[in-house]
Amino acid sequence: MKTIVLLSEAKNPVSGRQQPSRLEAQAIGLAAGLDEAPQGLHAGSSEEGVAAGLGHGLGGLDVVETPAGDDPLPALSAFLRRAFAGDAPPALILCGRRGEGGLETGLVPYLLAEMLGLPILADAVAIRPGEAPETLVVDQAMAKGARRRITVRLPAIVTVHPLAPPPLPFAFGRMRRGEVRRHPAPAADAPAAGTLAGERPHRARPKLMRTAGTASGGANLHVGPEPEEAARLILAYLEDNGIRRYGPA
Amino acid sequence: MSRVRKDPRAERVARTLSETGRRPRLDLGRREAGPASGRPRRDPWREWAASLAGESDTGNGRKRYDRSQRQMNRVEAAHFARTRDGLDAVDVSPGQPALRVIDEPAFLVFAVVAAAGGRLSRFDRQVLGGARLLADAGEGGGAVVAIAAESIEGLGEAGADRLVVMPRASTQRERAEVLKAAVDALSPRHVLFAEEGDSADCARRLSVALGEPLFPDVEHLTARQAVRAIRNAGAEIGLAPPRLMTLGEDRARPYEDVPCEAREIEGGGEIASPDPAILSVEIIPGDPAKLALSETDFVVSAGNGVSDFGAFRDLAAAMKGTPGASRVVCDAGLMPRQAQVGASGTVLAADCYLALGISGAPQHLQGIAGCEHVIAVNTDLHAAMIERAGLAIVQDAQLVMPALLNLLKEREA
Amino acid sequence: MTAAAFLPWLIVAMVLVAAVQIGRRVMLWRAGKTARVDWLAGLKALPRRYLVDVHHVVDRDKSASRMHVPTAGGLVLASGLLVLGLVPALAASRVYWAFVALAFLVMGAGVVLEVRRRYPRALPRLSLGRWQRLPVHLGVFAAGGLLTALLAALGNPLPALSFVTFLAAAAAGLALAGTAGTGPMRHALAGATHLVAHPRPRRFDPASQKGEATGLRPLDLDAEKLGAETPADFAWNRLLAFDACVQCGRCEAACPAFAAGQPLSPKHLIADLAAAAGGGHARPYAGMPYPNERAVGGAAGLDAPIVSPEGLVHPDTLWSCTTCRACVEECPMMIEHVDAIVDLRRFQTLELGAVPMKAEEPLAHSRGCDEPNGRPLFERTDFAAGMSLPRIVEKGEAEVLLWLGQAAYDLRGQRTLKALIQTLNSAGVDFAVLGGQERDCGDLARRLGDEATFQRLARANVETLSRYRFARILTADPHALHVIRNEYPAFGGSYDVVHHTAFLAELVESGRLAPASLAGRAITYHDPCYLGRYNGEVEAPRALLDALGLERREMARSGKRSMCCGGGGGAPSADIPGDTRIPDIRMGQVKETGAKTVAVACPQCTAMLEGVTGDRAEVKDVAELLWEAVEAGRRTPAGAAPARELQPA
Repeated sequence: MKTIVLLSEAKNPVSGRQQPSRLEAQAIGLAAGLDEAPQGLHAGSSEEGVAAGLGHGLGGLDVVETPAGDDPLPALSAFLRRAFAGDAPPALILCGRRGEGGLETGLVPYLLAEMLGLPILADAVAIRPGEAPETLVVDQAMAKGARRRITVRLPAIVTVHPLAPPPLPFAFGRMRRGEVRRHPAPAADAPAAGTLAGERPHRARPKLMRTAGTASGGANLHVGPEPEEAARLILAYLEDNGIRRYGPA
Repeated sequence: MSRVRKDPRAERVARTLSETGRRPRLDLGRREAGPASGRPRRDPWREWAASLAGESDTGNGRKRYDRSQRQMNRVEAAHFARTRDGLDAVDVSPGQPALRVIDEPAFLVFAVVAAAGGRLSRFDRQVLGGARLLADAGEGGGAVVAIAAESIEGLGEAGADRLVVMPRASTQRERAEVLKAAVDALSPRHVLFAEEGDSADCARRLSVALGEPLFPDVEHLTARQAVRAIRNAGAEIGLAPPRLMTLGEDRARPYEDVPCEAREIEGGGEIASPDPAILSVEIIPGDPAKLALSETDFVVSAGNGVSDFGAFRDLAAAMKGTPGASRVVCDAGLMPRQAQVGASGTVLAADCYLALGISGAPQHLQGIAGCEHVIAVNTDLHAAMIERAGLAIVQDAQLVMPALLNLLKEREA
Repeated sequence: MTAAAFLPWLIVAMVLVAAVQIGRRVMLWRAGKTARVDWLAGLKALPRRYLVDVHHVVDRDKSASRMHVPTAGGLVLASGLLVLGLVPALAASRVYWAFVALAFLVMGAGVVLEVRRRYPRALPRLSLGRWQRLPVHLGVFAAGGLLTALLAALGNPLPALSFVTFLAAAAAGLALAGTAGTGPMRHALAGATHLVAHPRPRRFDPASQKGEATGLRPLDLDAEKLGAETPADFAWNRLLAFDACVQCGRCEAACPAFAAGQPLSPKHLIADLAAAAGGGHARPYAGMPYPNERAVGGAAGLDAPIVSPEGLVHPDTLWSCTTCRACVEECPMMIEHVDAIVDLRRFQTLELGAVPMKAEEPLAHSRGCDEPNGRPLFERTDFAAGMSLPRIVEKGEAEVLLWLGQAAYDLRGQRTLKALIQTLNSAGVDFAVLGGQERDCGDLARRLGDEATFQRLARANVETLSRYRFARILTADPHALHVIRNEYPAFGGSYDVVHHTAFLAELVESGRLAPASLAGRAITYHDPCYLGRYNGEVEAPRALLDALGLERREMARSGKRSMCCGGGGGAPSADIPGDTRIPDIRMGQVKETGAKTVAVACPQCTAMLEGVTGDRAEVKDVAELLWEAVEAGRRTPAGAAPARELQPA
């Protein structure tokens, strides 16, 4: 099953050096289960970080050399249109939830799906070929460990959830052997936008604290209660806070 | 929530009475109506009243206050609200909490809630809280419309004025279509989603369908601006809150004031043709006993104070929790290594952690830092885990385990 | 014609048979990669290497040396004499046969000593099977030869008997010669050749520093294949080394992973590597199995992958190693087990990306942000807020450059570093740190086989260090010490690196520090592998502890033969499960001394030993003990009893 993995320009949050995005590396891992040599696709100005994707299991990498800051969408859709029109059209396009390094809206896969007329499924944790030809079974992550198993007709776009299996460990030798093919960018309609209006340096903002007191009221410390009383208190706490409900449903 | 910086120039301008003459005249005694940040100011009097636990029964007339800094109970809040003027609160009936009613909103704010399992999650409440903030801040006062698949308990308390029940859609494409119909019909000023799972997916489908930009994963939301990180958190953009937004987790405060009415209204569209590309959909429920620790929402964990591990496993299964353990227990081979909770084991994202006989080494506490609710059962009153817990029981875990099992059996019967 | 007259011809036949067998083995070795060997120097050094270096190790087990000297000596002597017997004049002499009988007698005596090691029950570390039968073969050969020669010396009174004894000797002798390529006797020639063509000749050079023979060699990252996958990927003299193994099991007895029930035995591994090269025959291994042995397919051959669930060695075996070198230290055949393990790991990591899942995280951090713990470099000096800790970037030069290492990110390690910094300040040492410019030294990446990341870090660090002027590098981390001192020279950075125990001992000796006596406390000292075994530094920390007046009790395993804490070689990141944990075993040995404090000199050891739960000795770095004494010395009024003078060790 020919699989293409979309790659973005992630940076290491500590050093700022380019590196493959974890989610996209996980996508490569999922792709490697379907395709011996999944291919990477990247539109951007630098391949330093994405080339490491080869070390995580890509068989080859196509880089459409768009200027820095350009919208990658036209380049990606033009490349994919050509691929779908070619001899060996891809069956599956995998990507992270949101490309990193750019505007990070997470809209690119959805816009591509719209432009290419493909179905899109989000949050895959496992994928395998369906029983019927040209189908794919996708397990989507849902809350509390539940999974939604969807059979989709190919070709399709699937985004990957962080609970997917961890990426294949990086192998320097694999990266060295991988082939990188460079392609010129299609003529841009509009010049690159540089920075956006309202863009400014990022300021880290604290998140809300998660620790909660006893929302149900009453003293929360019980010294030496009878075990039966303790059990009752624990179940009451769990039910009051909506963690679990016990007893016959 | 972060603090908004003081802008001395703006303050100075606001206090300028007249610029005529050579020197501007300032009104330095002026009290501001409200902080520019839109962040509510603390009202110590109100907090003090809310913490009144009762009169002392020794007869000396001294009041007893609960200063444990708990969040204000909603019933108390409503009781309190009635005693203050300037709040749009009415008594529905004597003895019932007050209800906040917005009859003719100037505009609508959609809050799409996932409500997995028919219950509002913390994240859902945050989305409703964010929507409430936008509705209250707009001129004329807006109404929060919760968009859900069913009627859910507690929507009013979480700040929803209206409820639109969406028809059950089997695929996300259908869900987005129905939502688009509701947006077309009711023209909300904002649509707010959670940046998680199906909600995040739906937000993007809606954005593409409407041809409108999406402002995702908002980190900071006020009435005046929404801010999100871009370029690998190297930069951010702040805009006046746009129409389509998804909210990051733990970024907006849930609503905790007078309950709203959450009146159901029409507005959900019809499901059109099914999606031809989707051949089958099947939901596989999660089995807490087999879930990875990193994914589960409830962990039942054993430490040094547990000696009967057969009973412990039975208890974890009966409580529908995922079994976990401290490092000591895993080192001793009593529980598998995958069950280890802590900095060197698994760092949890669960909602609730039940610690049986775990004293709470620093590395262990690091592993449960993200847990909202912690229940500790431990013989040592001074254990760190007792201090961390929302419910702390100083008792032998070996005694509490069979009692819990019995109680659960009784409930089953 | 007497039966004895056939003995010389038997030897000739045995030599011929053995030569053919060994020749086949030599062909196998030749399939390995080329290696540069100085044959002349090796041959010249052979007697010394055998009689001094090998004997020094063998003699740690007296029963082994007492057994081997007469057996091997008698065999060589008898064979040599018998070859002379081809001269007819000698063969006719009854005195000559008496000498031959004497040589066989010596050999027989040795065999008796060997038999006593193996029967009725062999030492647990010894291999059984063919190794258990070896003394039988040798014994029959020696007894047959002895009786035949003796009868000849007595004038051949019982010709029939002498033919029977000769036939027994011939059968046993030819059986030995027939297995000279694959059986136990392989060790004789392979061992001697290994001593001549040893891959690390520096380890026999008494003039060279110990660390010069222990540092890993850089890998050519442009090579076709990175690391060793199959036996053919090893240099020929390493294949030869595997054949030299006598399966004495001393490595196994010293191996911490084996003791903890992890699936590693260095002896078994070397036997597997030898069997892998041999290919055809599956492993005739009769030693103790790998603890909690993982099932493997057993495919072997010169070009078959060694480490794989289908091959001979399971990956868990490879990742259990702490690279503590205890096996190398104990090996009488001078085999370099750790080099083989690192070569195999390099292939797994660089070519396959087959590192254990948990070890991938520190490697990914090392690649991404130059620190295995994923913390920013500029936070390295955060712990020293409020202390006087000069940056070299501000001073430009300093007498001593303090290399902080990973300990600076760890709460426990920070305590040691704070004590060290305070001590340096109070002694008025001119020192500085690199601060945010210090990257990880790359030790972890290298031991886990990620040579690409190590070389990048090494080059970057050498480049940084070249910008400043300093006389010495001081570090409290023996892993950083070893890597910078012994492995950075290959990347263009040669530095005088000193461990903090040696440096502090110098300060006390020269009187720049006046520590009070801490007498009355019993301590024991745990040698870090990378300081003691890798760099031979075992005396300075002991001298320092003695100078503090502490009562030093030695554990059964100490100095260069100390036992690992389990923290090296990336083993804690790989985290291969065993029956128990290595630090628990080591802490048990601490307990046996009765000391309430164990002094350590490595942040890894500190972390591992402090991770032991329950009632255990207190873990204190030597620097912390010294700072305690220095502070106590400040409080005591002048003239009070000072600490004992430092005794030159």
